[in-house]
Amino acid sequence: MTLDSSEKLGAARTPDGDGTGPGGAADAAAPPPAPRRETAAGIFFRKPLAVFFLAVLAGMVLIALLGPVFGGDPVATGNPSMQPPSSEHLLGTDHLGRDYLARVLHGGRTSLFVGFSVAALCMTLGVVIGSLAGFYGGIIDIVLVKIIEFFQAIPGLVLALVAAAILGANVMVIIAILALTMWTGVARIMRAEAARIAQLGYVESSRSAGFPRWRILASDVLPNAMPPVIVTTTMTVGTAILVESGLAYLGIGDANRPTWGSLLNDAQPYLNSAWWLALFPGLCIFLVVLSVNLLGDALNDALNPTIGRVK
Amino acid sequence: MRPALIHYGRLLASSALLLLVVITVLFLLLEIAPGDPLQAMLGDAPASEEFRDQMVATFGLDQPMWQRYLTYVGNVLTGDLGESIVSRRSVTELIMIRAPYTLIIAVIALIISTIVCLVLGAIAARTRRPWLDGLISGGSLTFFSIPNFWLGLMLIWLFAVVLDWLPASGANAHGEPGIAWQYMILPIVATATSQLALKTRVMRSSTIEALGQDYIDTARSKGLSSDRVLYRHGLPNALLPMITIVGLSVGNLLAGSTLIERVFGWPGMGLLMVDAINEKDNMVVLGVTIVMTVMILIANILTDIVYGLVDPRLRARFTRSGRSAA
Repeated sequence: MTLDSSEKLGAARTPDGDGTGPGGAADAAAPPPAPRRETAAGIFFRKPLAVFFLAVLAGMVLIALLGPVFGGDPVATGNPSMQPPSSEHLLGTDHLGRDYLARVLHGGRTSLFVGFSVAALCMTLGVVIGSLAGFYGGIIDIVLVKIIEFFQAIPGLVLALVAAAILGANVMVIIAILALTMWTGVARIMRAEAARIAQLGYVESSRSAGFPRWRILASDVLPNAMPPVIVTTTMTVGTAILVESGLAYLGIGDANRPTWGSLLNDAQPYLNSAWWLALFPGLCIFLVVLSVNLLGDALNDALNPTIGRVK
Repeated sequence: MRPALIHYGRLLASSALLLLVVITVLFLLLEIAPGDPLQAMLGDAPASEEFRDQMVATFGLDQPMWQRYLTYVGNVLTGDLGESIVSRRSVTELIMIRAPYTLIIAVIALIISTIVCLVLGAIAARTRRPWLDGLISGGSLTFFSIPNFWLGLMLIWLFAVVLDWLPASGANAHGEPGIAWQYMILPIVATATSQLALKTRVMRSSTIEALGQDYIDTARSKGLSSDRVLYRHGLPNALLPMITIVGLSVGNLLAGSTLIERVFGWPGMGLLMVDAINEKDNMVVLGVTIVMTVMILIANILTDIVYGLVDPRLRARFTRSGRSAA
């Protein structure tokens, strides 16, 4: 996932550097950035905080992926129960004598998977619907904007809670529900960007060169609209992880795949005696969401230096 | 007709339509829920044969789907949200008992977070000291990233378990009716903090944007003191987006109440819903959802009205188009 985000960063830098030049060739190989302008990656990596939290996020993802290999068995119950953190059990053990480090590592897999999947789905939905609405305009725009407005107006969080509760405890169902209630942010920004870019000179020249509209959309509009879309998508990862952990905390989730939220749910009755059970999963959620949000802010500063801070 | 009237009429109509859609979605969710609808409504609660027959008759489960849908919508619109399977009481009545508990926390948290966010956001936007802006911005990003139910758990651990200053859960000492103020502190703090974080971010960027406008330069060039520029020209414009944000936050507050009330065992609508979800008491779940939706829609309408009252540009648009229509 870290590789993925740095790829996105690189991909987004190209159109950003290209956007100021004469257009029409945005789909060509990456041109060298203008010498006097600082590249987005340069701005991004100059911030120690951004780099630090990128490393934190990368570390969390890596640990979640590799956790099962060296983290031990999350369901083995042989250990003494309710042990506070020690050198033997770094995060202590729970009421059934399970190693808590192993449980937290396993929990992270599902939490992160949900967060990134929801963000990817939101981005896909948002980019497709937003670009169609913004670029084509007319009746398509009117209909799609009505749909976006509708999804914005429904109390998404409450409905997500009810839908997840009624439809059942499946990770995929929860991902789908969260994506359905969260995609409008990306769509709105994509629509605004597509509508703005459709008026620009390089789109006009592509049009006069006789390119078909879908081709202009794909090669001129989409790449140039990416920077704010990427920022919004990054923020979506954090929100999705927060909402998912909230649902899991309420007991809505796959009972066989405990996430950080459901660990917190299990920890609450032992708050009096075992502080570590409630501390560590929450700390993990907090660290991941904070890293994602800080990355979003830093990406925003790097990719949209003139827009200022969105949100 | 006056354009303002048309505007609010349209708003009311679209809100009503949205409520209908939400009810429809809920109805369809129950229809496609795994298992037969009777079982879905009964949940895991044990039910006798007579009660099943009675349920079939009450909900008209032998009728076709569209007919049941119409009955359901009709019942909801007349305030009949059905009957709880677990407690055998009217859902409307259950919600009426719980709603004040949720609203008192929500309203106090909303007021506190709004006042504090305006001050902090404006300070962060205007200060010349980088550390102060960094502190406020960093702090709001940090609290924006904390899951507020976990913050609640940590508050309980610190103030109830370690320090033993405040009670851990409930609304009053065991068995006592009503609300004692000590019990309200932690839920309000946990709710207000996450609200505050989001709103401070918005207020800061809104103030920065307002202070970057041309009319601010005009006001400065007239020779106004910088304080006067801020209070007379900057802040009023920075506050407009905040009206929308505060209105939208009602939805977050209500959805978040499920988490906060579960953390603190606070007997409001959210806890009613969580308990109902765990007991598969679906009529209660749907009832709370519908009531929350209505509250959110009312908040949206109020936001729109306040915006219209406060923003002179909107008022002008109403009267101008009114004249051209006349």
